Amino acid sequence: MAEHTAVHRSGLTMPVVTPRFIDNAWRRGCDFINMDLEDSVPQNLKGYARTLIKDAIANVTKGGAEAFTRINHDLVLADLEGIVWPGLAKVNYPKAEYAEEIQTLDTIISRLERERGIRPGTVEIGANIETSVGVANAYDIAAASPRVREFGGAGGYDMSRDLGMEMFVGFDQFVYGKGEVELAARALGLEPHTAPFTANTTGSVGDPDRAFREAEAARKCGFRVGGGLHPNVVEPQTKGFTPTQEEVDEAHQILERYRELEVSGETWADIDGEIVDRYEAARARKLIDWSELCAQRDQEKAEAVARVERLGE
Amino acid sequence: MVPVTNDRFAQGAWRHGADAITLDLEDGVTPALKAGARELAKDAVAVAGKGAAEVFVRVNKEFLVADIEASVWPGLAGIMLPKVESPEDVIEASEVLSSAERQRGIEPGTLSLILLLESANAVFRVREIIAASERVSQVGLDESDLSASLGISASAEYDPHVYARGRMVIEATAAGVQPIGIAHPMGTLPSLLPDEDMLKIATDSKNLGFKGIVCPHPSWIASVNTAFTPTEEQVDFYNQVRDVFAQAIAAGTAAVPFAGRMIDVPVDEWAKVVIATSTACRLRDAEKQSALEAASA
Repeated sequence: MAEHTAVHRSGLTMPVVTPRFIDNAWRRGCDFINMDLEDSVPQNLKGYARTLIKDAIANVTKGGAEAFTRINHDLVLADLEGIVWPGLAKVNYPKAEYAEEIQTLDTIISRLERERGIRPGTVEIGANIETSVGVANAYDIAAASPRVREFGGAGGYDMSRDLGMEMFVGFDQFVYGKGEVELAARALGLEPHTAPFTANTTGSVGDPDRAFREAEAARKCGFRVGGGLHPNVVEPQTKGFTPTQEEVDEAHQILERYRELEVSGETWADIDGEIVDRYEAARARKLIDWSELCAQRDQEKAEAVARVERLGE
Repeated sequence: MVPVTNDRFAQGAWRHGADAITLDLEDGVTPALKAGARELAKDAVAVAGKGAAEVFVRVNKEFLVADIEASVWPGLAGIMLPKVESPEDVIEASEVLSSAERQRGIEPGTLSLILLLESANAVFRVREIIAASERVSQVGLDESDLSASLGISASAEYDPHVYARGRMVIEATAAGVQPIGIAHPMGTLPSLLPDEDMLKIATDSKNLGFKGIVCPHPSWIASVNTAFTPTEEQVDFYNQVRDVFAQAIAAGTAAVPFAGRMIDVPVDEWAKVVIATSTACRLRDAEKQSALEAASA
């Protein structure tokens, strides 16, 4: 199983038909930009919207973000023909319910990669779970294509509508569904995209404090993938999903002490009330690896932005 | 839910404004009274329907045929089948219903089934159980019996059935069947609460995805009906959402901020649902009210 090295801590979903969003996207500091053809685009603009993606890919990625596109559940072929161009990293497919849907996407994307000179297997599929049927079939959907590398959902507006519930209540309405998608993702070695419950009783999408708390809680529960709708949440998400210097230092100490244990032949030690054993060592190693990936990603983005500024927009 | 053998409850249930009344032949009836209870069912079905409630009978799994034959009379909406363990249980009940429908001149396939899951096995097999018959219209957890079968002594402090409840809600909704049930702790420890607290717990139940609550006491009914009916504030809010969204579409976008939230297609779709539900609830309440008045006159 290949190690998952993608860094998708923060990202903005935006209607591709709104030029001021797209033109400013590269300045936002996101790890990815998700250009929407679906729920934020009016029906009468669907055809036009997909013609914008090819040029928008270059535009939104110039600050180092990866370019994603969310297509329409019912317009798969036309949308894919319009959007699969070099530079596109991921197709987000909403309301995924059956494995066959993902296989169809895979087939079409494979053909387009061939026709358009894209290295085979480049374009990821984000199979977004947004209905009860999707939760019920989560494992099969996640397993349907090797292009599915991150997997999640099971909350949000579509999910709550399907279940007939008001959102923004003070308890976790989606705990079962999130558990199912996480389990499916973990069982298949994919990166789960979900989060523990942090109350949002106002429905705000632009509260930076909340975004940070949510991202930090998610990271502490083993999740790495973020994304949102408002520029205010980008920086808090990036920060919340990135290990702090203190955590990295502590992880190095744990590894050092674990190496000492190995030399002495002990299996575990209690150091100032903290247990050090091979599980803690593995966790520390993982945290350091993730921290390095984050730093690398931040470096790439900074260089990309500097390049744009040097050359002029 | 009223025991058919309690004359006062069975005769008076229609006055309380419930959308459905289930006459119990099962756990609410002592073994010595089971046979006599069956003889009461026909009249009790007719009486329970006087206020326009849908009428169900909860049967004993071990007396399935006798109980169903005693209950299938005009005015019955369906059967509540407890202790379901397998698809075969559902198929068997459905077949008994088919033959009773034939005998009594009731249109084939019209009687529905409400399934109660009461064991780990039932929760695990929920998908195939629900799919076993077209008659299945609702499915619920009997949390007290589930606790007993899992060896759990219920306490209000901790919720032991988060997973079972969540699984049932997802699988039922996915299958197009209504999940019924209530938020912790009222499933395992039902009690009489002040209306305000009952309204809160019923609202939480709705927001867990349930479509209704089986009330063990008439004092629950008004709060439950209120909780599952969109409030005036919600209807006003979603009417505004619809206006704001329509203006946004006209302006060339389907994403528009409103009241601190982001309004896009699924929010507008949900707004339609809330507004339609409000109308349906109003019609249903009027139907019950006029039946109540006619029967009381």
